[in-house]
Order: sequence, then structure tokens, then C-alpha cells
Amino acid sequence: MQLYLPIAELPLNLFLLLGMGGAIGFISGLFGVGGGFLLTPLLIFVGVPAPVAVATSAAHIAASSVTGALTYWRRNALDLKLGTVLTIGGLLGTIAGVFFFNQMRRLGHLDLVITLAYVTLLMSVGCLMFVESIGAMLRQKSGKAAPLRKAGDHVWYEKLPLTMRFPRSKMSTSVIPLAGLGLVIGFIGTVLGIGGGFLVVPALIYFFRVPTSIVVGTSLFQILVTMIVATLLHAIVSQAVDVLLALTLVVGGVIGAQFGTRTGQALKGEQFRLLLAILILIVGIRFALDLVAAPADRFSINATELER
Amino acid sequence: MRRWLALALLALVLPGHARAEELVLALSTREVAITSTYTGAEVTVFGHIERDARTIARTGEYDIVAQVQGPTGEVVLHRKGRFGFIWLTESRRRYSKVPLYFSILSAKPLASIIDEDGRQRLKLGLEHFLPAPTPELEERDEFGFRNAVLRLRREEGALTENDKGVTMIRPNLFTARIVLPAKAPTGLYLVNISILSEGVPLRTAQAGFVVRKVGFDAFVANAARNEAVTYGLFTVLMAVLLGWMANVVFRKD
Repeated sequence: MQLYLPIAELPLNLFLLLGMGGAIGFISGLFGVGGGFLLTPLLIFVGVPAPVAVATSAAHIAASSVTGALTYWRRNALDLKLGTVLTIGGLLGTIAGVFFFNQMRRLGHLDLVITLAYVTLLMSVGCLMFVESIGAMLRQKSGKAAPLRKAGDHVWYEKLPLTMRFPRSKMSTSVIPLAGLGLVIGFIGTVLGIGGGFLVVPALIYFFRVPTSIVVGTSLFQILVTMIVATLLHAIVSQAVDVLLALTLVVGGVIGAQFGTRTGQALKGEQFRLLLAILILIVGIRFALDLVAAPADRFSINATELER
Repeated sequence: MRRWLALALLALVLPGHARAEELVLALSTREVAITSTYTGAEVTVFGHIERDARTIARTGEYDIVAQVQGPTGEVVLHRKGRFGFIWLTESRRRYSKVPLYFSILSAKPLASIIDEDGRQRLKLGLEHFLPAPTPELEERDEFGFRNAVLRLRREEGALTENDKGVTMIRPNLFTARIVLPAKAPTGLYLVNISILSEGVPLRTAQAGFVVRKVGFDAFVANAARNEAVTYGLFTVLMAVLLGWMANVVFRKD
């Protein structure tokens, strides 16, 4: 059954959209990532214009993170204080991101920016996570415990001013690096149509030693708030949010996310990180191939209706 | 000039003089509605060539050429080039005010209906989709941008030439079938129909139809444009509510 999308201005199969939403939702629930880094490329791949794909993904991510965040909230696996600090930085990044997005769109560089950013981000994060999780698994096999940091053992960025204690996450750190992390994630997320969970989760684990059990819920909370604002700003400034596309993806997504969240509970930390790393690498390689492989057609075309 | 025109008109109405054919057109629809189930559409033009006792006798049969032109827009063509080991857009060309839909329908190949000179004079043919470039510009088109535009627009169904698009039902009665792609732009479409006989153009007539979003899709598109804040809030609210509902419905713990 074909469904005409009023803002994307093309018909797509309803069941394809529901299925895509469901698959992304499953992954999003499983790893606590928004799933946007898979959804945006998929939408572009099926023919949705890049600006609409990015802006609509934000709405989808908002919906799936509500579901996830509530589940973790009920399990008491969410650090609200830490999430709030991240979100404050995230909002600033989101505002900057929307304006950067529209500037690039005007200049005609948006597609290139999206592709290059995806390759760099996904490949570097994917490789880091892959190597780290393999290392952790090997250490576990040889019986050596992972090196734990002693309480009070702080890295330089944690010693910056404005120190705050986060009892839920069993740590204390300066809020500057945290808000900075939120800002970067908010900016990247808005420009690329991703929640940024796949960046927040490892960053919180590696740089701030936040327990894995709390990281996912907290990252979902931060994603939820930033993506709500990103959707609003994209609707107002970019005018590229397709409500019908968002609705179908969300319906598929929220259902998929339920199954993902449950499956995720059964995974061990290292397995979890290794799987996520592989997934990120696959998407990254797919984008890299686009850049490296000789194009079948050197020309591509883009037609736009004039403003009436 | 005006005197000549008056004389010509007089010649037309004076009895006893030979007259050219009349062309009467009717469209199957004046409005193509884009709804939630829209996947493309067809518009049929019915044409009747009227003759009477005073019409010049023709030895050959009539040829019909229908040229359909959609709303104009901007087409940007990108060409990738190699930089080290990656491929990036190395040049782009912008064509503004290009018809976003352009189609030529006839009952047999255009070349066998009218010769090159005649096609140029009547502006018939796919090459008139893009305004003819100046000779200097043609020289500088070293990458073949012009051909690429024609090729890619053709692949997208936005530029078509169909020499079976016109059906002659009777020698003086025909239909032309206009096929609109799923991504047809909204706006006014002009249909220009010429009758020719043995390569000589006899008469041209125009008709038009509108493609527009109606119902829910029109409502959404308008809201997104004119009520962006409300639209954005609604989208967010819908997303959050659905996410919350899913959580409640699937709650087990």
C-alpha cells in the first residue's frame, strides 16, 4: 500500500516504512541509541530528500527515546542530575546545529557535509569501540580484571572548576566537560538527524566511568530533550519535518523498541559494546564506499519547485 | 503590420475562401488531486479536427504533436570528480526556470512528422526543454552537462518523449495520454497541441490542467508552511504521546 508523503513529496510503501521503523526501534531499544544514525541513511536511500530525512528522524528519535527513557526511569537506571547537565549543553548545540544545517542547505553543501560527517564519525567511534571491547573480552578470558580507577582518582578535565557530585553515577566531576559533551552531541545530532546515543554512551563510560547500567537511561533522557527541541526547530526553521512519515516510523519504532529493550537486558557489557561497534562500522563502511568507489554515474540531479 | 493582419483576418472570414481546420480539445480532468494514495496519474486529451466544405482538401493524413509543460523550477546538476582516492562533487550547474515536467506525445516518431527546421520553428522536441544555450556556452559545456540533464530528467520520468502517446481513433479524432510520475510537481500544466499535415503545421490549440495537493496532504503541507510552530508542536506532542503509550501498553514490570 503506497502512502503519499506531503512534505517529502513522494509516495512510499506503508509497510516498508513500518518495518523500517520497527527494525530501527529494536536496535534503539537494544543499545539505548536513538537509531538515527541508521534511520537517516535508510530514508535517504529509499528516496526521501536529505533535509526531510534528517528533520523527520529527529521526531522519530524523540518518540523512541520517550519509551526507552520511561522504561529505564522505572527501573531506577537513570541519573536525572547527570542527564540535565548534558541536556543544557545539548540545547545550545541544537540551536547552533539548526542554523548550520540551513546555512549548508542554502550553499548546496548539505549532502556532502552529511556524508563526510557520517564517515568520519562512524568509522572513528566504531573502530575505538571495537578495539576496546575486544580488549575487554580478552582480558576477561585471561582472568585479569579490568583496571578499575580508585575513588578520587581524577583526570585533568574532571578537575576543572564547577565540580558537581553525581551520586547515582558514583562520580564527581566538573560540569564543564559534561556540558561540552552535550553541546557537541546536540550540534552533531541536529545536523545529521541522529540522537547521538552512540557517542554519549561510550563517552560517558570511557571518560567519566559512569556505570553501564545507568549510562543508557541517562543518554536516552538527554536525547529525548534535545530531539524534541531539534524537531521543533527543524519544523520552524528548516520546514522539512514530514509528520506523516514521522507517524508511520514512530508507530513501527515504539513497538520494535519494546522488544529491543528486553533483549538488551540479557546482554553483557562487552558483548553489548562489540555488537554496537560492529553495527556502527557497517554503516560507516557503507558511507565510505560511497565516497571511495567510482560512481556508476558521475552526474546527479536535484530539482526543486520554486517558492509560490 | 496592422493592415496586413486585418487583411488576413478578412481573408479568413470571407466566404468562398479556403479555410484551415479547427481544433477542439477536451481534457479528461482539469485537476489532478494529490491525496495520500497518489502514486502518479494520467490525463487524457481528446481532440477533434473540424472540417467543413470550405476547408482545404488534404492529400495526406493528419499528424498530431502534443507538448506538455509543467510548472517551472530549479534544477541543479552535480558532477563528481576524483580527489585523491575519494569522489566528491567537483562542479555543479544550476538551471533556473526549467519546466519540472516536459513531455512530447505523438503517434509516430517526431522526425517523420516534421523536419529539423520545422521543429526548430515550432519549438517542438525535448531539446526545447532547456533554453538553447548560446554557442559560446555550448563550447564550454566540456563535461556534457546539457546531455546529463536531459538523460537524468528522462530517467526520473520528468522528461518524456512518447511516439505512441497519441492514438488516432478516426482520421480526425484523436486522444493523447499524458502520464504524470509519482514525483510530479504541483502547479499548472500547459498542453500545446499542433496538427500537421505532410510536415506543414496547420493549427495549434492550448489547454491546461492543475496538479495540486488536496484533503489531508494539502492540509499538512499548508500547516507546515504557514503554521510552522503549531505544526512542530503537534509533531513533537504526537511523537511523545506515542512513545509514552507504547511504554504503557507494553509495560510488564
